[in-house]
Amino acid sequence: MQEVLRLQNLQKSFGSVRALKNASLTLKEGDVVALLGDNGAGKSTLIKAISGVFPIDRGDIYVRGEKVSIRSTREAMDLGIETIHQDTSLAPDLSIARNLFLGREPVNLKWLGVFAPIDLAKLRDAASALLKRVGISKKLDADALVSTLSGGERQSIAISRAMQFAAKVIILDEPTNNLGVEETHGVLRFVKEMREAGHSVLLITHNIHHVFEVADRIIVMRRGEIVAEQTVADTDLLTVESLITGADVSALMKRAQ
Amino acid sequence: MRSPQFSSFVILVVLLVVFAVADGNFLSPLNISNMMAFLPELGIIALGMTLLLTAGEFDLSVGAVFALAPVVVMLPVQNAGVDIGVALLAGLLLCIAIGAINGVIVTKIGISSFLVTLSMLLVVRGAALYITQGFPLKSWDQPGFLVTLLAGSFNIGAFRFYTSLWWFVGLSLLAVYVLRYAKLGNWISAIGSNRNAAVARGVPADAVKIWLFILTSVLAGLAGMISAFRISAASPVAGTGYELEVIAMVVVGGTALTGGRGTILGTIVGALMLRAIRNGIVLVGVPGLAYNIFVGVIILAMLILHALLQKNAARS
Repeated sequence: MQEVLRLQNLQKSFGSVRALKNASLTLKEGDVVALLGDNGAGKSTLIKAISGVFPIDRGDIYVRGEKVSIRSTREAMDLGIETIHQDTSLAPDLSIARNLFLGREPVNLKWLGVFAPIDLAKLRDAASALLKRVGISKKLDADALVSTLSGGERQSIAISRAMQFAAKVIILDEPTNNLGVEETHGVLRFVKEMREAGHSVLLITHNIHHVFEVADRIIVMRRGEIVAEQTVADTDLLTVESLITGADVSALMKRAQ
Repeated sequence: MRSPQFSSFVILVVLLVVFAVADGNFLSPLNISNMMAFLPELGIIALGMTLLLTAGEFDLSVGAVFALAPVVVMLPVQNAGVDIGVALLAGLLLCIAIGAINGVIVTKIGISSFLVTLSMLLVVRGAALYITQGFPLKSWDQPGFLVTLLAGSFNIGAFRFYTSLWWFVGLSLLAVYVLRYAKLGNWISAIGSNRNAAVARGVPADAVKIWLFILTSVLAGLAGMISAFRISAASPVAGTGYELEVIAMVVVGGTALTGGRGTILGTIVGALMLRAIRNGIVLVGVPGLAYNIFVGVIILAMLILHALLQKNAARS
C-alpha cells in the first residue's frame, strides 16, 4: 500500500527540555497506528508538530513522498492532516452545521473574503447529509447547538468532520477520554470505518485494550524517543505495558521463574 | 421567550409603558428627540463592544478614546489652522493605533484584556487631560460638510433627529450582517466559544481579535467626534464611565460576558433600555443623586433574568 505520511528524525526542544529526539515513523494508506507512552513521553509534542501547532527544530516530514513544511494548523489541514483533540475540537455555542464547516464555510460572493455571506442552505444540507451518512444513532438536528450534545455525540461530530474533508491522515488524541462504555464503542467503530474508507489513523490513547481492538501497529514512545514498533498480531498486552514503563520484561520473567 | 434578546425586548416595552404612564412627557416629541440624540453615541460604541465580547475580550478604554479623539482633532485645527480633514485622519490613525496596541498586547503577550485596556484607559485619559491642560477646548462653530455628515440635524414632523442616528442604524445593520451571516461572524463566535477549536480549524484568532480591538477604538473615536460636533466642544473628561455603561448595554441585551454568544439586536435593545431608564427615571422624579441606584438595580435584575432563562433552557 502507498505511503501517506513519513516522519524522519523529528526533533523539538522547549528550552533545555528535549521533548522530541529523532522520532521517525511511516503511515500507509488504511493504516491504524496506535501511539503509546506514559505522560511526558512526547506523544503530544509529536502530534502537535504534525498538525502544525508549532514548528519542528529539525527533521523532515513527507506527505505522499513529497517533502513538506508545516507551519500552521491551516497548512496541515490543506495537506490532508486532520487532528481531533480531546474535548477541544468543537465550539459549544455554535450549531452542529456551523461547527462542521468552521474555517471552511461554504459562501456566496467569494470575493468579499471574510465578509462573504455563508451559504446557509448549503451549509444545512451538507451537514444533514453528513449526519445521516455517519449514522449517528440518535437523530441529530444540524441546527442544534453543540452545547446540548453528549460527550460521545461531540466526539462523533468531530470525527465525521475529519472524514468529511477526505483527510489522508486523521490524528485522534485521546478520543475515548471521559466517554461512557457505549460511546467509546461508537468511537472505536468509527476508527474501523475510517480504515475501511482508506484513511490512515494515528491514535493516541492510554487504554491499551482499545489498541488491541482497532490498531494494526503499535508505536511506543519514551522520553521523547520511539523505543519500539510492533504489529499488533505479534505482541501482547504485557509486552506493550512493559515497553511503555520501560521495565525489562525478560528480567521480570527470569525473576518469576 | 427563551432567547435573551426577546426577553430584553419585552422588558424594554414594559419599561417604556411604565414611564409613559408615570409621566405624560416621556413620549413627547421633544423627549424622544432628546433620547435619540444621545442614543447613537453610546450605541455605536456598543456595537463594536458586542463583537469584541462575542470573541471573548472587552475594552475598558473606549470612554477615554471617546474624549481623546475629538481633542486630538480639534486642537491642531483651532491652534495651528490645520485642515479639519487632515486632523480627522490623524484622529482616525490614533484610534487605530490604540486598538492595535490593545489587541497585540492581549493576543501576543497574553495579558487579559481587563488589565491591558484598564491601563490603556489611564494612558488615554491622562493624555487627553495633559494636552488640553484639563480645560475643554473652545467651541467649534464653523459648519462644514464633515460636521453636517456627523452631527447635522433634521426634522421629521415634530421630531428633531441627528444624522448620527443614521450612522447608528447603518452600522447596526452591518454588524447584524457580519455576526449572523458572514463567515467572519462564524469565526468571531467560535473564537469566543472555544478559541483552541477555532485555531485548530485554521481560524486566525489573534488577527480577528486585533481587528476587533481596532474596530472598537475607531467606533469609540467616531462616537466622540459625533458628540463633540453636536455640543460644539471637546472636553478631556467627556465619556467618563462610558466603558461600563456600554458593557452594561451589551450584556443587558443578552450577549455573554464570557464570549461565544453575541446578539446585535439585543445590544440595540440594551442601548435603548439604558437610555430610556436614565431619561425616564429623571422624568418620574427620582432625585438626580439617587438615580444611579435605580439604574444599577434594573441592570442587575435584567442579568438575573437572563441567568434564570439560561438555566431553564439548559434543564429542558
